[in-house]
Amino acid sequence: MTWSELLLMRHEWALIGLALVLIMLEIGISDEQKNRIHVVACLLMAAITLFGFWPAESGKIFGGMYITDPLRVLMKNILNAGVLIIFLQSSVWLGKAGMKNRMTEFYLLLVSSLIGVNYLISAGHFLMFYIGLELLTIPIAALAAYEQYQSKSAEAGIKLILSSAFSSAILLFGLSMLYGAIGNLYFTDFSLTDSLLTILGFIFFFSGLAFKISIVPFHLWTADVYEGSPTNVTSYLSVISKGSAVFVLVILLFTLFRTIQPVWQAVLYATAILTMTIGNLFAIRQQNLKRFLAFSSIAQAGFILLGVIHGGSLGMASVVYFVLVYVFSNLAAFGVVQAVEQATGKLNIDDYNGFYNTNPRLSLTMMLALFSLAGIPPLAGFFGKFFLFTAVAESGFYTLLLIAVLNTVIALYYYLLVVKAMFINKSELPVPVIASDGAMRISLLLAVTGILVLGFYSPVFDYINELCKTF
Amino acid sequence: MGTSALIFYILSAVMILSAIAAVTARRILRAAVYLLFALGGTAAIYFMVDYYFLAAVQLIVYAGGIVVLIIFSILLTTHINEKLELPRWSKISATFSLTAVGFAITTYVLTAQSFTTGTGTFADATVGLIGERMLAYGEGGYVLPFEVISILLLAALVGAIVIAKRNPPAS
Repeated sequence: MTWSELLLMRHEWALIGLALVLIMLEIGISDEQKNRIHVVACLLMAAITLFGFWPAESGKIFGGMYITDPLRVLMKNILNAGVLIIFLQSSVWLGKAGMKNRMTEFYLLLVSSLIGVNYLISAGHFLMFYIGLELLTIPIAALAAYEQYQSKSAEAGIKLILSSAFSSAILLFGLSMLYGAIGNLYFTDFSLTDSLLTILGFIFFFSGLAFKISIVPFHLWTADVYEGSPTNVTSYLSVISKGSAVFVLVILLFTLFRTIQPVWQAVLYATAILTMTIGNLFAIRQQNLKRFLAFSSIAQAGFILLGVIHGGSLGMASVVYFVLVYVFSNLAAFGVVQAVEQATGKLNIDDYNGFYNTNPRLSLTMMLALFSLAGIPPLAGFFGKFFLFTAVAESGFYTLLLIAVLNTVIALYYYLLVVKAMFINKSELPVPVIASDGAMRISLLLAVTGILVLGFYSPVFDYINELCKTF
Repeated sequence: MGTSALIFYILSAVMILSAIAAVTARRILRAAVYLLFALGGTAAIYFMVDYYFLAAVQLIVYAGGIVVLIIFSILLTTHINEKLELPRWSKISATFSLTAVGFAITTYVLTAQSFTTGTGTFADATVGLIGERMLAYGEGGYVLPFEVISILLLAALVGAIVIAKRNPPAS
């Protein structure tokens, strides 16, 4: 193996390097200077994100265990950018009393989870796939329980670890069936036939992955875990963890499981309708913004499935583009929620009454994020949904399209409820003026720029579409 | 029916019964002990097919390590004597019927499949070969997963410490 081959893995090398730097810093730095770790971590993460856009080659190393190509690199870059925003948004929370002596651990756990995401996307063997999936989840369970003196946070941690152990077991059961049918775990010689065993194996495998994406009926852990976890961990779960699972689902369905396409189309058809409808109906009833965003993210997962169902390069491109848009929109929304929560401890939609009068910029950011999630032109979210719907229409599932459009209307209603609270509802005691720190401002600026640029600048979709055609 | 088939059925029966007992036991310490028998039975099956390395690993890691760890952590908590309450009959019957359907489908599918038989035997997998594969980086080598698991272990250690770490009281 040569150096140039090892450099194919440079995203992972860079992140492992970051983890090592963090460990060395934690050992070497005095308690007074701990705040600098935050700056170092954000700067290095920004450097890694930029460095990731260096033109990528395709290749396989470790005998096919590790696969990389420009599309996979793009997926990693999208998620790296998301993690950078989350890093920036964590500054206030990590500066709180009682958090300072655990700051490095927070970054270290988040980075190790991101390493898992990268290996998951680049997996060329089901063993690597599984290890990537576990490396993605286990550190997050510790992060969910980070505010240990709050029982809700501990509950979120235990619920996450138990449900992910359960889903891993189901996934492995399915994998063992697929292995029994094929006798091989390398992606390169994975030739499925549509025997009953492979179909059953696929269904178990899909169920395991559906837990991670929180597709209905595997979504029951989502709301509780999202509510109990610290808000930046919630945004990691709803954006990075979900996004990576979607990416890997698309890659696997479009390559390994291509031979049983009618089967997975039927499975996705049913789950997409359930996920969109149930996610939306439950979102209407929520008062707590974190639970609200949890159900909204379930509904968004249902929309993502619309693109997957298409099965061709257009479907793949629309999914990647939608996740890219979703990363920025959702992180903008979570950023505002976090800024308000850190300053006042308020999390309910009613608390946002009159928010515009005191915090016009934050409420405009929130409005842009919610409009983008709802899919209002000319924001990026509109084009994301538009391409997904185009993909569904092209594959001829018109009933599904109709249900999806109806669901968009419901979604618009509950997103507007929050906007109405911020701009129209009056309040005796509105949220006081919040002075966000520099890092939070940069993160919100990045997210809003993403929402606007992706909506107005069409070459991004063309680029993704080209990559998907050659995939 | 040959002797090995007989032993196989006895082992399977022990494993299945102790697995059911582990799930239904109402005292948590008993559940852990039943689990020990289920894991030991698996090791015995590995011995039967001459896969000595995996059998030893199963005994050392699962029966020896994990069950002991589980028992330790149960003994360290204060609720050893607590009996789990019996679930409602509606719950039991719903779970049972769902499981029965799942079991029937899985059994049907597994028996309908014609599996291809491999040529090698488990006895070919010597410890030396396993070691070489573990460190090989070509086709069939496992050095990458081996190393990534070490990152996973590091992350798990850090996570465990973070959860267990006592905080100075928040002022």
